[in-house]
Amino acid sequence: MTIDGITPGKVLRPESIDELSQALRAESGAVVPLGAATQTCFGNPLHRADCVLDLTGLSRITEYNPADLTIHVEAGVTLGQLQHALRENNQFLPLDPWNGPQATIGGIAAANAQGPFRAAGTIRDWIIGMKVVHVDGRISKTGGRVVKNVTGYDLAKLYTGSLGTLAVVAEISLKLRARFARTATAIVRCENAAAAGRLLSAIRHSPLSPVSCEWVGPENTVWLRFGEHPSAVDWQIRNLPAADWKIIEGADESAEWEKLRRQYHELGSVMLRVIGLPSTVSEIVSEYQPHAWIAHVMNGIVLMSVSTGDEIRAIRSRYRVVVEKAPAEMRREAGTFAPAPAEYELMKKMKEAFDPEGRLNPGRHVDGERRN
Amino acid sequence: MRREIIDRLERALGAAAVTTDDTELLVYECDALALFKNKPDAVVFPANTEQVAEVVRIANEYRIPFLPRGSGTGLSGGAMAIDGGIIIELQGMNRILSVDVDNRFAVVQPGVVNIHISQAVAPHGLYYAPDPSSQSACSIGGNVAENAGGPHCLKYGMTTNHILAIEAVLSSGEVVRLGNPAGEAVGMDLLGAIVGSEGTFAIVTEITVRLLPKPQAVKTLLAAYKSFEECSQTVSDIVAAGIVPAALEFMDDNTIVAVEASVYRAGFPLDARAVLLIEVDGFSDGLTETAAEIIEICRRNNAYDVRVAKDEEERARLWMGRKGSFGAMGRISPDMMVMDAVIPRTQLPGVLAGIERISERYRLKVANVFHAGDGNLHPLILFDSRHQDQVDKILIMGEEIMRLCVGVGGSLSGEHGVGCEKNDFMGMVFTESDLESMACVKRVFNSSGLLNPSKVFPTGRGCTEIGRPGTTSTEEIGRKVEKMLLGQKQ
Repeated sequence: MTIDGITPGKVLRPESIDELSQALRAESGAVVPLGAATQTCFGNPLHRADCVLDLTGLSRITEYNPADLTIHVEAGVTLGQLQHALRENNQFLPLDPWNGPQATIGGIAAANAQGPFRAAGTIRDWIIGMKVVHVDGRISKTGGRVVKNVTGYDLAKLYTGSLGTLAVVAEISLKLRARFARTATAIVRCENAAAAGRLLSAIRHSPLSPVSCEWVGPENTVWLRFGEHPSAVDWQIRNLPAADWKIIEGADESAEWEKLRRQYHELGSVMLRVIGLPSTVSEIVSEYQPHAWIAHVMNGIVLMSVSTGDEIRAIRSRYRVVVEKAPAEMRREAGTFAPAPAEYELMKKMKEAFDPEGRLNPGRHVDGERRN
Repeated sequence: MRREIIDRLERALGAAAVTTDDTELLVYECDALALFKNKPDAVVFPANTEQVAEVVRIANEYRIPFLPRGSGTGLSGGAMAIDGGIIIELQGMNRILSVDVDNRFAVVQPGVVNIHISQAVAPHGLYYAPDPSSQSACSIGGNVAENAGGPHCLKYGMTTNHILAIEAVLSSGEVVRLGNPAGEAVGMDLLGAIVGSEGTFAIVTEITVRLLPKPQAVKTLLAAYKSFEECSQTVSDIVAAGIVPAALEFMDDNTIVAVEASVYRAGFPLDARAVLLIEVDGFSDGLTETAAEIIEICRRNNAYDVRVAKDEEERARLWMGRKGSFGAMGRISPDMMVMDAVIPRTQLPGVLAGIERISERYRLKVANVFHAGDGNLHPLILFDSRHQDQVDKILIMGEEIMRLCVGVGGSLSGEHGVGCEKNDFMGMVFTESDLESMACVKRVFNSSGLLNPSKVFPTGRGCTEIGRPGTTSTEEIGRKVEKMLLGQKQ
């Protein structure tokens, strides 16, 4: 196994949170927590890796309370495993991150990984509690096991998206929702980017409320997914702006979205997440002319494929950009998150407070960024 | 407070924006947790972010505690100057700076009253979703500090799910901007950590909030029951049926009596043991079926009366009754203590029975009015602060209710916060290690510890030591305010 060209000295596979804690207590070098390894090229390149902590052994669903719509899972439980367990009670976690069903919940949380289903937020919005193991082996929790809770600080927000650089996520409590009584997807191919832009603007200004609204290029297809009461889905399908829509449901629908998920992985070797606004999505695409893109239109986010570091700099001069995927050298050069100075200082202090020796995933997050 | 410091504050903000007058300070001796009081040494009224930052710098220089305050509607003492010092009153920073209708967000100052946002954007068919019961008075800055909830959080999430970006003054006086109008977290989510930090991480001076399109249709139902059990079971059955109501509120007989005797009178049935106020919203198509399904579930659980609000006026009246219920308690009791706890919703029947037993044992009435859909209880302990024995009892009684809730897998607060009300209960749900992790984050944001001290973490003294409950009687305040109005400053 190599990550960013580094071969770790050893790999440990704890099978319980206590074992994870013991492993961290015993370790004195650089520690790299790893789930299903679906997003090892996200984040800044690692500086060192003395020990990889393979968390796939933490694979228990520790408690599931369907009537309370809550579940508590160890970090190594996969999204597929979770959704499968929920299905028997007609419930689900409304997320479909690009890294797919084999991704672990811990990994999805650490990276705040996301996909087209954005209407209900990202995993940060579904986490109600977390248990983490600190670099010295200390175990602590935040939040709780109830769906609404403001007891103590919400540290789960900090751990989510911090790429395992503050603490190792060991257990996650999630709230859930009932599966939609019906879903349907409408897809149309537009003539060109301008036509797609016009169609998307019409959708944004209509009463439609899709759970996913994607603009995929360069082929200029628009994907809308609806999930609601069956009558509400029907109403929305009937009220789509005039176009040559293809409506798909059931197994075909799932297969089609799975195709898009695979397509995301083939968009290019340098992928950016450009954060704009719903009204600037068209402008972003027309201005930077990416080779390929998938835009979460309702969120103002364009995932785009580019070629050079210069392009990243140019886009960053106007928009906030996260590097989703790039060769290690380019990530090192550009920085994954490029935080503003005040933000950088706070993140750096946070990292130092949790991991004073810089041993957790060294280089991955703020410690791999440059102060701008 | 030393004259030198007051001079500095006055030079920075203007003399009119600083008060150290003993009588005026009375207004700021507590927030809506009126049981505990302590006067600040000064209150300042900044007009902009730079003035807030300047006050913070002065406070740091003289090592004086300071804290932000909005409308003072908080229920956990978050805006109480427990160690004295300077209260930074942000009510004057109350402008809606901009509204982006196309991208559905608004940029507002922290003193803006929650409901004013929805009112301002209503012509565009938009609204701001989190709706604490105090929404006609509470400030958005306070909402951010406490991660405020409200009935409609059941479907739409808490404040934290609706804050896209902020500008904040850190405890050092440094001004930072976090987040973006797309609401996209980038790396570790500092903004997410600040929301709900109870004014102990930063003073938020500008807020970008998410706006939602108003739902096409709304249906509001009222179901009346003869027992708590049947009422609670209805809640579980609605959730089990996969329905996500916009709100699902429980009110017991004591609450109904109080509301019906007040100006908030909503026509709640006086013979009911409990009622559920249920709201569903969304597309018109499908909503009638969903409402019918709910009515069926209510009937199956022996609801003896189920009504659907026939128009917007009736709906508004039902909600007025619910949101006015805390205020209405004055009709049946001179004082009340608002509790806030959260339990797994399936535990409702057992916990309600437990609270009733506790109420009987202490011989103090409890009214239950709460967000049943997410298990967020609000037992209101009714008492008379003129009787010291009752005042002494409510604290122990409150603690017992907390233990009951925590014991079934619940937590100390669903939306009101810990503040200095429940900080000494934190050990019920968190270990030393859990608290150490929280302290670690607090030290990053608030290294001097001067920003809103003695909150959230156990101090072993709670609010009680400083404010022997009832230090200033309502009567006394009345007299002082009267004197002030008559121009006889003390």
